[in-house]
Amino acid sequence: MLARVANNLFWMGRYIERTEHLARFLSVNYFTSLDAPDELSRSRQFVLRSTMYMSANEIIDSHKVLDEEEILFNVGLNIDKPYSILNAFTNAHENARSSRDLISTELFECVNRINHTIKGYPADKFVKSGLHDFTSLVIQSASEIRSKIKSTLLHDEVYAIIMLGIYIERALQVSRIINSKLSDAAAAKVIHGDETDGSYQWATLLKCVSAYDMMRRYYKKTPVRASTLEFLILNSKCPRSIKNCLSQINKYITIISKDNFAAKDSAAFLIGKMKADFDYKLMEDIDENLEVFTGELIDQLILIAEKLENNYFNISDVAVSKKQTQKQVLK
Amino acid sequence: MKDTNNFPLFSTYEFNPKLYDELFNENNKIREIYKTLYDLFSSYSVEEYNRLNTQAKASFFNLGITFQVYGEKEVKEQIFPFDLFPRIINNKEWTTIEKGVLQRSKALNLFLWDLYHDQKIIKQGIVPLDLINSSVNFLPQMKGLDPPEGIYNHISGTDLIKHSDGNYYVLEDNIRCPSGVSYVVGNRNAVKHTLFGVFNQYNAHTVVDYGSKLLETMESVKPKGVDAPVCVIITPGVYNSAYYEHSFLAKQMGVVLVEGRDLFVENNFVYMRTIYGPEKVDVIYRRVDDLFIDPLVFRKDSMLGVPGLFSAYQKGNVTLINAPGTGVADDKAVYTYMPQIIKYYLDEEPILNNVHTYHCSRKDELSYVLENVDKLVIKPVDESGGYGISIGNRLTKEEIETVKKTIIAEPRKYIAQPIMSLSTHPTYIEGNESFESRHVDLRTFTLLGKDIDFVLKGGLTRVALKKGNLIVNSSQGGGSKDTWVLKK
Repeated sequence: MLARVANNLFWMGRYIERTEHLARFLSVNYFTSLDAPDELSRSRQFVLRSTMYMSANEIIDSHKVLDEEEILFNVGLNIDKPYSILNAFTNAHENARSSRDLISTELFECVNRINHTIKGYPADKFVKSGLHDFTSLVIQSASEIRSKIKSTLLHDEVYAIIMLGIYIERALQVSRIINSKLSDAAAAKVIHGDETDGSYQWATLLKCVSAYDMMRRYYKKTPVRASTLEFLILNSKCPRSIKNCLSQINKYITIISKDNFAAKDSAAFLIGKMKADFDYKLMEDIDENLEVFTGELIDQLILIAEKLENNYFNISDVAVSKKQTQKQVLK
Repeated sequence: MKDTNNFPLFSTYEFNPKLYDELFNENNKIREIYKTLYDLFSSYSVEEYNRLNTQAKASFFNLGITFQVYGEKEVKEQIFPFDLFPRIINNKEWTTIEKGVLQRSKALNLFLWDLYHDQKIIKQGIVPLDLINSSVNFLPQMKGLDPPEGIYNHISGTDLIKHSDGNYYVLEDNIRCPSGVSYVVGNRNAVKHTLFGVFNQYNAHTVVDYGSKLLETMESVKPKGVDAPVCVIITPGVYNSAYYEHSFLAKQMGVVLVEGRDLFVENNFVYMRTIYGPEKVDVIYRRVDDLFIDPLVFRKDSMLGVPGLFSAYQKGNVTLINAPGTGVADDKAVYTYMPQIIKYYLDEEPILNNVHTYHCSRKDELSYVLENVDKLVIKPVDESGGYGISIGNRLTKEEIETVKKTIIAEPRKYIAQPIMSLSTHPTYIEGNESFESRHVDLRTFTLLGKDIDFVLKGGLTRVALKKGNLIVNSSQGGGSKDTWVLKK
């Protein structure tokens, strides 16, 4: 497989996964806040700030009054904002298009059709009444695309690289969602003290990762801080837990890595080491310094993604695509 | 108003009895071959047909069989106009077409070999030296080079028309990078999905075998000493209007689609950069024009090609499909010598007719052309895509004078042909909600490999959507149709 195309496929996987998390966070965070138990969590300004923190990684000055429709448009359909859902999906589509000879017709048609739908979604409708409709559409679309990836592609290196993209992005997004909700919970605690119904923040966090129902099934108790974080970080059965993502990343890196013993500092080595570390991690090891832990987790995942690019998709000597046109029309 | 205008989908169907209408004969009767199709179409209401048409168009859109229009801010995707009424070619006519286009492709191949070697045809005075010397598409770098198996034009696209006399004439041979074959398959799928009931009643040849034949062709011309050749297609990239076709062909053949930046040359061998390091490449179907393939030899500013590619080709370490320099033979001035070229190399009479052509480079013919611009089509010899064509009877007096001046300035650059009357075919005109007769031509696709002579049984019927327009090229707003070649 061409290194350039491998890079495109990796990023296709990442952007598909990213759109889903952006959409789900936006929707869950917004809709659960409408009838939140405490005043702060119900506050529009608080919700919009939390949305911007997760989508754009931006902490907005607390004096600034945010305009709801503007924020929703920016994170949803504003093509000029690199963090918008539209932009993420456009990137997924562009990456699919430049590797369309390698992926199945079914997969490309699916990505392409969804691209038309998302691009054509009326911005006006979205900010006024379409928030739920649009985000559901994006969430379902990501599932549909993943199902085409799983069921119509050869399970070879092409597949492994897309899956690597998906799971690295998933681990990153889940870490960022945890991070953002930890900070929301801390803010609520400062204002309302211990009176706040803590389970509200933890339930929201679980819903943001579509893990609420299964968490209830697993623990049979109302979610609290420790059980929620344990489920999302260390539970090997939860499909979106960090631990599970790492084990998937490890599985797919073995498919593309031809060495039985990964070289020190290679992507495969780092992933294996991180996975081994997680296998024996306990909640009590990380509970005290959770913010630090999630921060480091994000850094490590970014480092792995960079190593992957260096090890397999090294395109530093490949010229940047230019729109040079030869005078070659459809004759 | 004729009886046939009573059917909703044919309410405005008219045809010029002086032309060959493929649906109606001169007595205004349906031609036998179209009867089943016509019965089906005339049973539809406008609403029903519009629904089918919309579905078919949506399928092209969803599959991304599109080209991009770059606006100031956003990129718009558009489908190529497509018409659901298929064109049918009976077996007898097809047999002639098939033999005829193969004959031409083979003759052109021998012509190219000769031009880049001994130039016997010139020495014997059959083709003038000036024709080659003045052609910008003649590549001196190709002189004396022997392409594997002696094949230059592995892929040829021949454009044919059906004249009012009911015979096929060749308008052009395209042996550089003829495109359009992906639309043949795309159109067929759309028509099968939409008109499955009636498709069944016609016994038409399949068109899906093109990809495997193309791969066989590529493998058959592998460089010496290579066992299992690695074949790739090189594309100018996603911004090229034919990118869909490039990716389609790569997928059909299961080969890698590369861009120039994915390849590099070392010690005169070509490699692609894969996730496991360099992999040698043996056969390249290049959809990049001659002048862009290698910045070291041709255009220095090319970012689409591969530095060193041409020298790897010269050493015989990689095969290029088509060979560089084929453009010299699909020049429209060379076209006029096709009967002589066929006779010279194959000792055969041409199976397909050539349209009579006047060379503006010859003094007596030039004066005929200048006096009769209004009765002629004037074409630049080295343009493609329907650019620069003037159709005499459409021009105003001033425009005729301008054309005359342009010809006089550079007579070698122009040829003239009588205005041919392309046959007409029922084509749905959305504005009028009815089928109307529109001019069509046919592009066939021929493959030449070692022991491979293949003509795709079908082809791209191109249709000029504007009433009375004779230029069918997609770059001039033309559409296309599925083409059914019948087995019996």
